[in-house]
Amino acid sequence: MALPAGAVAPVTPSPWRRITSLEVLCAALVLAMLGQGPIVRILDVPGLRTGATVFVAVCVQAMPFLVLGVLVSGLIAAFVSPAALRRALPRRTAAAVPVAGAAGMMLPGCECASVPVARRLMQQSVPPAAALTFLLAAPAVNPVVLVSTAVAFPGEPRMVAARFLGSLGTAVVMGWLWARFARPGWIAERALHRPQRDPGRGCWAVFTETARHDLVSSGGFLVLGGLTAAALNVLVPTSVMASLAGHLLLGVLVMALLAVVLALCSEADAFVVASLSMLPLLPRLVFLVVGPVVDVKLIALQAGAFGRGFAARFAPATFVMAVGCAVLAGVLVLGGIR
Amino acid sequence: MRRETQNVLLVLLGGALLKIAWTGTYLRYVKPSLLPFLAVAAVVILALGLIAIARDLRAGRALPAGFTGAAHSDHAARSPWLLLLPVLAIFLVSPPALGSDTVTRSAAMPAVPGRSDNDFPPLPSGPAPQLRLSDFVARAVWDDAGSVNGRQVRLLGFVARGAGGDTYLARLVITCCAADATAMKVRLVGRSGLATLPPDSWWEVRGQVVPGSARQDSRFVPTFTVSGLAPTTPPPETYEY
Repeated sequence: MALPAGAVAPVTPSPWRRITSLEVLCAALVLAMLGQGPIVRILDVPGLRTGATVFVAVCVQAMPFLVLGVLVSGLIAAFVSPAALRRALPRRTAAAVPVAGAAGMMLPGCECASVPVARRLMQQSVPPAAALTFLLAAPAVNPVVLVSTAVAFPGEPRMVAARFLGSLGTAVVMGWLWARFARPGWIAERALHRPQRDPGRGCWAVFTETARHDLVSSGGFLVLGGLTAAALNVLVPTSVMASLAGHLLLGVLVMALLAVVLALCSEADAFVVASLSMLPLLPRLVFLVVGPVVDVKLIALQAGAFGRGFAARFAPATFVMAVGCAVLAGVLVLGGIR
Repeated sequence: MRRETQNVLLVLLGGALLKIAWTGTYLRYVKPSLLPFLAVAAVVILALGLIAIARDLRAGRALPAGFTGAAHSDHAARSPWLLLLPVLAIFLVSPPALGSDTVTRSAAMPAVPGRSDNDFPPLPSGPAPQLRLSDFVARAVWDDAGSVNGRQVRLLGFVARGAGGDTYLARLVITCCAADATAMKVRLVGRSGLATLPPDSWWEVRGQVVPGSARQDSRFVPTFTVSGLAPTTPPPETYEY
């Protein structure tokens, strides 16, 4: 394999060899093995045990989707040129945004898959607004999610239509808002920086290196999100859901917040709220529209991919917009509050 | 974090996922239909790590420029350490399947599967057919024809304790992963010593429903009069789907 001339770092003979992360990793593994007994004993409290199981469950559930996302991202980097993407999308950003939203229907995965793909699209010079619309639309309007919503609400086919419209509306409006108001510095420099393509590298090397890099950089943030979701899953009493009957405004707000902290995967959330028959449909619809576009796992992934400044602006704005779009879709499609 | 360390972490992570897929412990965390995706993901993660290690070795231990994490060392540098957490959790702790703690936590949640019609097929014939707990609860709540009323059935589940000292036989139903588990349960009555059953112990319970007991005010939890119970081992699939 051809390497650029400057790539071989000169080995500087130093009396103090620096401790590298590899040694730290080995030490951590040895310590963990030695301390296995005490660690297991500390975790042997019912609440912690439940939290540990939920943490592993969220990670195990999300990993296949993240892998799908990084593979798609790697394929785009290796085989789809920026010029081809420009040809596929309308020239005007305002028109490209709804096209990107519709394209979200084709990636059947959760938000873990869409974050690396959206970042790759930006690096291949897709307008950020269109890539962000794709990011929001993909986990919410894909066929798997819509079918599972239909199965969860057997007597309410309009729930599927309302969810579709509310989610797609959120994604497209957020894209337009981003195109209109965003400043260039809001997305971290490193997210937009396109890796220099080494002339000596074939498509296969570009594909595997891109996928590997994306997996390493998003995987840690996925674990962080899983940790947060597991802690909140154990600490936040879901029973508050049951006590919301009869308080519509409070119901909408609390369900929206619960969607953020519980971070359920978008294929399962419909089944969870379907059982809350004492709540009107509208707060439950809000839960289904907010969950896939803002939750703790997704915020962690966004902060990792696009920078903390981005997540601090984008997540709250999306939250407000998702609640608004859900309420609007509910009133239009479900015919009022119910 | 150095590139070599990242690759070692990827190999460890892929190995951990492969292990739970191979040994079947993944059923504690996700539903069975995820298995093929989990196995493929584990192999891909392993392969990405091993390919990168092989490439570095062939390149003579020099770090290739361009695609390495070196260019992004500012923020992304520390986050990959978190990948060690699921690896350690799986290899060292291996958290058990959810149980009575989850049932107690979600005590106030009524868990009634939605139905479009209230037509249930007739119960299997025989003196005491075995029913899935979620199936039994659905029939007790929704079945207009009352197919479980007056019939002896057998249910399999674990013991959970209610806030008021009630004893429940419960199963957890998951849709995607253990994070969305909802509890299905029946309240056990009609026998002395029920209150001393240890939580999380598995039993096969024989008995019948108290007709009309699964109502709004009981949060749709049927009351179950026990006529016999036998200890049993947890089934390989501890959740219902």
